[in-house]
Formats: sequence, C-alpha cells, structure tokens
Amino acid sequence: MAQAGSAWRSRFLLVGLILAHLTAISHQVDGGTGVSLLQRGVLSVLSPLQRGVGASASLTSELWRGWTFHRETYADNRKLREQVRTLETELQLRSYRAQESVRLRELLALQQAVPLDTLAAQVVARDGVPWFRTLMLDKGESDGVRLDAAVISATGVVGRVFAVGPSAARVQVLLDRDSGAAALVERSRVSGVVSGQVSAAEMGGEDLALKYIPERADIVVGDLVVTSGLDRIFPKGLVIGRVRFVGEVRGLFRDVRVEPSARFSRLEEVLVVRGAQKPLETPRSVE
Amino acid sequence: MSRALWTALALVGAVLVETGLAHLVASPGRYLDPFLLVAVYCALNFGETHGMLAGAAAGWVQDVIFGGRVLGLSALAKLVVGFSVGLAAGRFLIATTAARALIVLLAVVADALLLQWLASVFSVEVRGLPPLALVARATLSALVGGVLYALVDQRVARSRL
Repeated sequence: MAQAGSAWRSRFLLVGLILAHLTAISHQVDGGTGVSLLQRGVLSVLSPLQRGVGASASLTSELWRGWTFHRETYADNRKLREQVRTLETELQLRSYRAQESVRLRELLALQQAVPLDTLAAQVVARDGVPWFRTLMLDKGESDGVRLDAAVISATGVVGRVFAVGPSAARVQVLLDRDSGAAALVERSRVSGVVSGQVSAAEMGGEDLALKYIPERADIVVGDLVVTSGLDRIFPKGLVIGRVRFVGEVRGLFRDVRVEPSARFSRLEEVLVVRGAQKPLETPRSVE
Repeated sequence: MSRALWTALALVGAVLVETGLAHLVASPGRYLDPFLLVAVYCALNFGETHGMLAGAAAGWVQDVIFGGRVLGLSALAKLVVGFSVGLAAGRFLIATTAARALIVLLAVVADALLLQWLASVFSVEVRGLPPLALVARATLSALVGGVLYALVDQRVARSRL
C-alpha cells in the first residue's frame, strides 16, 4: 500500500518536474517574434481572455458613455421641449396679438366709417345655454350700453342687446331663432325681416331666413341684404349678408335664406351702438 | 551521510571529470557523459524518485556549466532517463556489472535522442551527434560506468562491513 503511494507520488513528482522543466525551457526559447515560447504560450492562452476582458471593458465603457449621453440628451431634450413650449406660447400670443390688432383696426375703421355713437366691447362669453345664440359683452350700463342697442362687427350686423347689467351686457345674435331685424334687399329695395332659422339654429347652422318676401319680389342669389331701420333697433344700411338661396313659395311668401356677413363663431370684438339712430347713406362694413 | 549529499558530491566529481577531460580532448561530451553516470547510478541504487531528482540536478549542473543558450534541456532529458532507469531497476534485477553497463548504454542513447528531440521541439539549434559517435559515446560511457559502479559498490560494501 505504502509502495503504491510512493509510486504515485513519484509519478506526480515526475509530471510536475517535467512541466516545470518545459516551462523553464519555454521561458528561454525565443519564439521568433522576440518573445519566448513561454510568453507566447501564456499570451496565446491569456490573449483570448484579455480580449474578452478588453471587449467587456470597452462595451461597459460604451454603455456607460451611451447612458451618460442618453441622460444628457434626455435632459437637453426636456429643456428644449420646455423652450419649444415657451416659444410656442409666445408665438401664439404674438399671433393672437397680431390678429387682435387686425380685428381692432377693422373695428376702428368701422367705427370711423359709421356716423353713429358706438362703443367697442369685447366678447367674453358665448352660447351659455344650447337653446339660445347669445354673446356676453364686457361693457354694460355704466359704459352707456342700453337695452335693445344694436351690436355690429366689422363684417356685419351681430344682434341686439337684450339684457344689460352695470358692467356687462348680453346680446341676442341674429342666428337666434327668436331674433329679428328689419331688412331690405339693397339692389331691389324689397323689405323683409331677417331672423334665425329654427331648423338651422338647432343643427348649428348659420344661415338666416329672410321672411315675408312676396312671391313676385325681385330677389336673386347674391343680392346684398342690409338693415332697413324700420325696427328702430338697427340703424338703416348695415350689412346683414347676401342671399344664398331663393326657394319655392310657401304659403304667401318665398323661402329665402341669407348667408350672414358677420362671422359669429369668431367674434371677439364688437361695436355697440349708443347714440340716436340715423339712417346710413350707403351700407357700411369694412369688407 | 545522506544520499542527497553523496549525490551532490558525485555531481561535483562529474564537473571535475568533465573539466579535466576538456583539457585532454576537444569536446569531451562527445565521448563521455559523467553526469548521466551519476544519475543512472542513483536511479539503479535508490529508485525512480531519487533517480529523476539526481538526473534533473545533474542535467541542470551540466546545462549551467557546460550547456548552451537554453538551459534545462539536459535536465529534462536526464530527469526522464533517471526516472525510467529507476523504474526499470524496481521491476528487473539489474545487479551485474554487464547489466548495469547495458543500462548505461541504453541510458546514454536515450538521453541523446531525447535531448535532440526536445531541442527540435523547442527549435533550439544543437550540434548533431552522428550515430556512430553516439554509439561510441554510449559504449565508452557504459564501460566507464560499469567499472565505476563496481568500484563504488565494492567501496560501499567494504565500508558497511
């Protein structure tokens, strides 16, 4: 037993010594490339490992650089988004101011054009309830606004004041089915009454009905319709719109529809007529 | 005195013999290898472990003092030869002078072939030994070894008595 152990020990020693000698010899032998065989062997064993470690290190470095770059980019992106938002807001504000300026210039032009005492007012609310077509103005009794005062815009008649408070007033626009304005066809002087249409108003349409037009009246599509002043609310000669449809006779009168000149959905500033009403010599609007 | 010390003294003797021969003949290594004689004697008398250690030590001394640019080739060759002879001595009865001489002869051939093979493996330039020269070297080493071993054994036996 001890002899067998000794034999194994000597074999292990032999193998160990052979390996040690091979290592020692390899260390001295030049592999032809300036490095010893041992170094070459060690390098050939270690180089894949080193390559792996190097690749892992560079990958980690790349990932880290990518991460930091991503983080910086993310921060930059967020900052730039905020800047874009700020600039967009500023741009919108400038655009709004520019549009407002144009509207106010138009309104001023109208104010100077019509021989009426008018007051500029801003639309602060509209259509508070779905059944009525109304506007809320920021001017009221204290500013000289009175009940039934005519409200006009740069493009045409808007409606009349039907409720007035100390500093605000409510306007019934022509589109409302209960509204009405004495009108006439500017070319043929045919008279009628313009009001909102029940069906159109319910469906959100913006066509007006020109009522009480006789069957044989001279009226064609495209005719300009203006206020006649007979209702003692709207001064004579303000533009209401143009005839868009001349239909069949219903009962005693012809079915006529008028496309209003005033852009009701985009009204922001209007003029409220304050003084005594005088008839206009020619229809007035800046358009 | 321990075996290691005797072995060391024998190696010193081998160095002296090799050095002395160098003054007598050119290239004494071509005729006799006293270091291998030491290794083989140790292997025959003390077994494979001592034989390979003695072979390795002898080879290193030979390489360091008389060797070339690359050290360790003789050491490795003698290590293997020492182990093999020790292994053979444990399996077979190698007691007569003739048998020992034969072992020395084979060991010298094996040592030379092994060294040349290792040199070729490691691409180390070594001076070639023609077969005839190898046979002459092996024969002379075997004769010297046989005689030397017998004298040493007699001396050891006398000292034990």
